[in-house]
Amino acid sequence: MTGLRLPRVGVAAAGFSLIWAFLLLFILYPLTRIFYDAFTDEAGIFTLANFAEFFSDHFYLRSLWRSLLLGVAAVLTTSVIGIAVAYLIIRFEFPGRNLFSYLTMLPIILPPLVGVLGFVYILGRAGTVNVLLMDGLGLEHPVNFIYGLQGVLLVETVHLFPLMTLSILDSLSKIDPSLEEAAQVTGAKGWKRFWTVTLPLTTPGYISGALLVFIWTFADFITPLVLGVQDLLAPQAYLNIMQFVDRRLFRMGIVISALLVVLAIVFVLAARQYVAIKDYSSLSYSRVERRQLGPIQRWLAVALLVLLFTICVIPQVGVVLAAVGRGWSLTPFPLHYTLEFFRQVSIETPKFIVNSFLYSGLALLLCLVIGVPMAWIMARTRAPGRRAMDALTTLILAIPGTAIGIAYIRAFNVPLPFTDTALTSMSIILPLVLAVRRLPYTVRGSYASLLVVHPSMEEAAANVGAGRLRTFKDITLPLVWKGILVGGLFSFIMSIQEASATIFLTLGGWEMIPFGIFTFYIAGSQSQAAALGVILIVLCAASLYVVNRVAGTRVGGLFG
Amino acid sequence: MVSRLQCLAIASSAWLAFAQVAQAQAIENELVLITPVAKTLTDPTLADFAAYAKERWNITVKAHALAAGTPVAYGRILEWKGRPDADIFWGGESALYDKLAEQKLLAKHELPAAVMDPIPATIGKPKPIYLKDPKGFWTGTVLEPYGLVYHPKLLQRLGVPVPKDWDDLLHPKLKGNVAQCAPSRSSSSHATYEVILQRDGDEKGWAFLKRLGANTGIFTARSRDVPSVVARGEFAAGFAVPSYMAFEDKLAGHDLKFVAPRTAWITPEPIAIIAGAKHPKAARAFIEYLLSERGQRVAMERGVFPITPKFRVQGAPGSRAEMAVEFTGGIRSYFDVDVVNIYDDDKAQKRYQEVNEQFRKDIESVWAQLKK
Repeated sequence: MTGLRLPRVGVAAAGFSLIWAFLLLFILYPLTRIFYDAFTDEAGIFTLANFAEFFSDHFYLRSLWRSLLLGVAAVLTTSVIGIAVAYLIIRFEFPGRNLFSYLTMLPIILPPLVGVLGFVYILGRAGTVNVLLMDGLGLEHPVNFIYGLQGVLLVETVHLFPLMTLSILDSLSKIDPSLEEAAQVTGAKGWKRFWTVTLPLTTPGYISGALLVFIWTFADFITPLVLGVQDLLAPQAYLNIMQFVDRRLFRMGIVISALLVVLAIVFVLAARQYVAIKDYSSLSYSRVERRQLGPIQRWLAVALLVLLFTICVIPQVGVVLAAVGRGWSLTPFPLHYTLEFFRQVSIETPKFIVNSFLYSGLALLLCLVIGVPMAWIMARTRAPGRRAMDALTTLILAIPGTAIGIAYIRAFNVPLPFTDTALTSMSIILPLVLAVRRLPYTVRGSYASLLVVHPSMEEAAANVGAGRLRTFKDITLPLVWKGILVGGLFSFIMSIQEASATIFLTLGGWEMIPFGIFTFYIAGSQSQAAALGVILIVLCAASLYVVNRVAGTRVGGLFG
Repeated sequence: MVSRLQCLAIASSAWLAFAQVAQAQAIENELVLITPVAKTLTDPTLADFAAYAKERWNITVKAHALAAGTPVAYGRILEWKGRPDADIFWGGESALYDKLAEQKLLAKHELPAAVMDPIPATIGKPKPIYLKDPKGFWTGTVLEPYGLVYHPKLLQRLGVPVPKDWDDLLHPKLKGNVAQCAPSRSSSSHATYEVILQRDGDEKGWAFLKRLGANTGIFTARSRDVPSVVARGEFAAGFAVPSYMAFEDKLAGHDLKFVAPRTAWITPEPIAIIAGAKHPKAARAFIEYLLSERGQRVAMERGVFPITPKFRVQGAPGSRAEMAVEFTGGIRSYFDVDVVNIYDDDKAQKRYQEVNEQFRKDIESVWAQLKK
């Protein structure tokens, strides 16, 4: 038998090494390149001058401080909303509960730039609300709802509270109801029980949600830029990197990106103190008894959720109006309507949609090829370095897309061995960077479902004579396909929306939808940008509907 | 067994013939531009160039434009180090083209005299604006002023008179209503900052720019956003806007007005072939097309002016060309009027970083205080 096992071990070892080679080459190597650039001058000589400049510059320091402040504020606002929504949905029965639980996921699929543009159309100085206020109430000056830090906070909160809700939902549904019953019996009721028992039990989910919200807000440069806020770290990184002529500013852009990466790592490590290793021990979700709310409370809950989701659809409404309105300015709604913009971005130039499916599809394939074996290694083996793999997948979630994009440009802009073409000149770099960025969703999804399948089931199958392949086909696959599908689809959804890394890497002819949105926007064609945005939202909503049908709202575990 | 040898011979001669055809082909079937010029000008010219190539050589050219702001485009050409992923650099400041040529990153365009001679060497007084490179690395393509834009309805509501010159943007009632882009982010903004500094001298110039900063409601990420936010009515007036960008918002149905103050800088939108370009023949053909009457006419419908006195912006009543003439203040050709230019590009490029740095120190980082 040993003779039979050896090749298998050999294959496994080869696969294991290949996966590590991939991770090292496409994640760690480019990141080290950023640090190399940050610690050298134009001549390539080691220096600390770049960091000295950063930390002695009031403007940069203020940007750092305000970024931290914004991140904390976003964690607070998303916590309040996210916890309330999660608790309502999982613990209580009220009209439209299922609909709301689907709606909770909708804001996540708001592509970058599209959300903030939608807000500008509705809440901007010339947005619907201000026009109504000025025309109706005779207000002389528009109310500044969004230009400034408050606007960034609003956009991030609406976009990101679902991450918090999903993470909490995940933890809440794993709490053994008997624990809460015990609390009830010993006299802890209502709020007290919530504070002393329920909340602490949801801490791991909460921390991972909070971490994601914080880092996402911290790394987002598009939203602040549209709202005219430039004294934050991420916009400074982006604006400076885009400044190639002034080499000193360019170098500072790299330094700031390196700093973003360092801070992300620090936050992940800090969060790990609390969520040591993701606990899937009771992954079989407990059946939670939902309580009926009293008549007044019930309608209050519905009213609250309706209000919340009204605010949440502001960007979608704004974007749809912008996509079909022509010459919309200073009226509450567009005066002229057209489908011309949709025609231009789909039929006239189909490349955005075609490329999106092509590159996101390839990325999905890569995610499955790399991610499923990774999950298997983490769930089923004691291979050395599997913890490092786990840490790495969390880290990927935390590293700002901008930093990855820049790292790729710096690291892969040299001719490949034996050729005279650089990786950055080949379109394969897009699916590669997308796969790297979105790998964690596939890994998490597959990992979680692999844990549910106890190895004893597979052993049992083997004992009654089923071969490895048969066991896999008849036992493992039926049990894990859902998790892999959900994880994979999430990787796909997040790939097709990705812009922050690909913006730096896209060359002519490779444009995906988000890049198209960005170039239309910067070319001043906001209506075309909006039309592409609507198309992308519809594509993602459809994919999300599938995820929802397969997994319900239990996708929270993907993010942690 | 003879047949195999014959086959080989036939195949190789067929291959040779094919290679010769490929060699003899007038131009390559692909073309990539890297350009800060907005899509609304590059797309129509590239599309018409493809049609022209099809008519003339029966070749289907796949033409792309890689959109990038001037600094980014310049930076990428540097980073490519002679192995470019684009064939042509179009738009931005001619001084940057000189810098690229010095670093041997541009190839001479070698266009026939019949194409180049009608383009005058310079335009404007007292400082000349160079319209082509005497060394033959770059040539101007169209003329376009960097002016200001405003939203008539919003100005009326604010009770602010229609602006005619830069100074009108300092009107107290425009506080919080001016849009501009930082000079470090935008070449049109940088050039217009220099216009003010060279017009007023450093001390008075910076005082003006600080007062402009105090009236500013938004610093946009790119110069192209300036007319967009004004067109929407988010802000009432915009500083340092290329004419054709504003015209696109007009074409998109917005009520937006453009003014080129007397001292507005006029750019020739230079173009050059990047050294090591993969499609040099297509690149040269595109430049030649752009300078031909056909190419100039397509561009003139987009709110820019011809680069030679040979043509004037003209069309049937109500045509796009006539709309453009009306929009840009009735001028049909800059060779019909006396162009005033006080902007010295060499001086501007020499202190490029200093101006950015001072903007950052005196305006950007104290913007909150300035607004008070």
